[in-house]
Amino acid sequence: MSKIVACYKWVLDESDIRINSDLSVDFSKAKGKISDYDRNAIEAAVKLAEAVGAKPVGLTFGSSKARQSLKDALSRGLEEAFWVKAEEAENADGAVTARALAAGIKAMGDVALVICAEGASDTYARQTASRIGALLDLPVVTSVLRVTVEGNTVTAVRKLDDCLETVKFELPGVISVLPEAFQPTIPGLKAVMAAGKKPVTEYDCGSLGVNLVSARKVMEVKAYAQERRNIIIEGDNAAAKVAAVVSNLKKEGVL
Amino acid sequence: MSESEKFDAIIVGAGPAGAACAYTLAREGKEVLVIERGDTPGSKNVTGGRIYTYALEMLDQGLSEEAALERKVTREQVMLLGGQRAITIDFHDPSFNRDGHPPMSYTVLRAPFDEWLAGKAEEMGAMVACGIRVDGLIEKDGKITGVIAGEDEMYADVVVAADGVNSLLAQKAGLIGEIDFNTVGVGVKEVIELPASTIEERFRLTNPEEGVACMILGCTEGIHGGGFLYTNKESISLGCVFMPGEVARHKKSIQEIFQDLKMHPAVYPLIAGGETVEYSGHLVGEAGYRGIPKQIYREGFVMIGDAAGFVINTGYSVRGMDLAILSGIAAARAIVNASSPAEIGPLYMQELERIQLLPTMRATDGYFDVLQTGWLYDRMPALATAVMADLYSVDAQPPAKLSRGIREQMKAHGISVWDVIKLGFKGVKI
Repeated sequence: MSKIVACYKWVLDESDIRINSDLSVDFSKAKGKISDYDRNAIEAAVKLAEAVGAKPVGLTFGSSKARQSLKDALSRGLEEAFWVKAEEAENADGAVTARALAAGIKAMGDVALVICAEGASDTYARQTASRIGALLDLPVVTSVLRVTVEGNTVTAVRKLDDCLETVKFELPGVISVLPEAFQPTIPGLKAVMAAGKKPVTEYDCGSLGVNLVSARKVMEVKAYAQERRNIIIEGDNAAAKVAAVVSNLKKEGVL
Repeated sequence: MSESEKFDAIIVGAGPAGAACAYTLAREGKEVLVIERGDTPGSKNVTGGRIYTYALEMLDQGLSEEAALERKVTREQVMLLGGQRAITIDFHDPSFNRDGHPPMSYTVLRAPFDEWLAGKAEEMGAMVACGIRVDGLIEKDGKITGVIAGEDEMYADVVVAADGVNSLLAQKAGLIGEIDFNTVGVGVKEVIELPASTIEERFRLTNPEEGVACMILGCTEGIHGGGFLYTNKESISLGCVFMPGEVARHKKSIQEIFQDLKMHPAVYPLIAGGETVEYSGHLVGEAGYRGIPKQIYREGFVMIGDAAGFVINTGYSVRGMDLAILSGIAAARAIVNASSPAEIGPLYMQELERIQLLPTMRATDGYFDVLQTGWLYDRMPALATAVMADLYSVDAQPPAKLSRGIREQMKAHGISVWDVIKLGFKGVKI
């Protein structure tokens, strides 16, 4: 049975990320989670596989921390999980990520369709689907709002700035789905229990021959915070208060 | 697990009670499923708190050494607040923390602790399913035979309710009614982050291993209840518990009274400059032995931990997590030793005696009466601090005679000698 692959990323939960007073960023208390948008990609894979009788599988590129993701991913309806493992994943750029995922897709074999989210919830770089397509020489359709598969033909509706575009391509191929395209379901008890028993395949980047050298170097991570002037204008006269607002704004150079 | 998906036990709730029960059962080779509503164990918890290590050691030797704990409690404090005044009693006994023995108790943050303990149960072979709410019980021929979660049904010889205070499962099993507001307190808590070195300076601790547990009286505007403060590694857990019925009639809200506590001149310097990273509220059992439901089991169903009312409040300390772990062990022993599901409940009651849980609850029953004394929560701390103020006030005038001063202060605070005698009688029954 051919596979429909949902690619997902194990990211830090942004709600646990703290910003220190010196604008440095504290990731130490942040737990991991499957990128919110990737849950849509997983749902898309499960739904499409059900419709065409394919096997929905998950694929992630991650460090040893990504082990925690496997059970979660499998509880969402995927039948098997593949994990391309490398500690370098934590600082990987889009090119490295795509190379690793493409190598995983090649290694598992018999892949009909690769589904990515439009972007990850941490970087939202929107590169993975296109880069995988380029590496594997497959057709790529991004910004997918709706998708159907009939026989070997995929019909996808793309949401663009001012219109909807319908495109068709022949399998195999790669699509990236928009967050609103598929609503992820919350796994039930039996799904969670079954997840622990589903097969997991670990790939070593070395044996897959993945080039893990990032072209991008992260120089610094710093929080962005708006500076507040904390000016309170008091008084009973509305006209005077408005005048004070205007004069303050002028002083700041915004008027 | 067999084809019919039937477990030896399904435990609902992955707190200390549920995890201890699962750990013990899995170690004995039983098929156990733990269902937790939070996305991770402990994520829904609000406890203060502190844990006594003897219970962890009873669960498995050496467990307290690797547990996810904060600071060993080296100083026991009671703070009496009267207006702006404060008395702090600070007790230290090195024998509580001897070399070569597990320290008697630790402060604890429950999110990491519960996750760790549930992880230990998983290592032993229990299955832990998180993010799942149990909606109901399955009943057949008068026996509980399983649980319903969403569209899924799961069967077991016994369902263990470890779902905490106000156990919805026990209600569904018909063993308890709607919660009685006289038997619970409503608690609020903040976790306030501070650097470890700041905590050590402010609480006069010599190293990052040591910590303080402090109970605070006189911070509830006369409402039955009190405050608590625990030093964690890099934060302080500060909270307050109130009897909900009295709060409802009170003009100030819980948040306002709690805010006043934070701003009290004896408390504020301890938390100044800290950052509140967590604010939460929860119910806590307050009735001690009398809060245990008449019946805590029926065929195919047992209640453990807070769900069974296993909490002790003596006014100077609060115990719950150790009792939760003991009850989890007791239930597991009963399940292992029972030759039929019908035997589990009666065996569980025997194990609760043998593990000294029920004897402990009985022995501390008298504290409930003492703590019912209304004037303990405002007039007593006010009187004590006023007497201290008299003692330490020095000016050009000759001081009043001490005994007369105390009598006058008692009169001024509306506490009679008779009140004290009555309290004494309640006290000697403890």
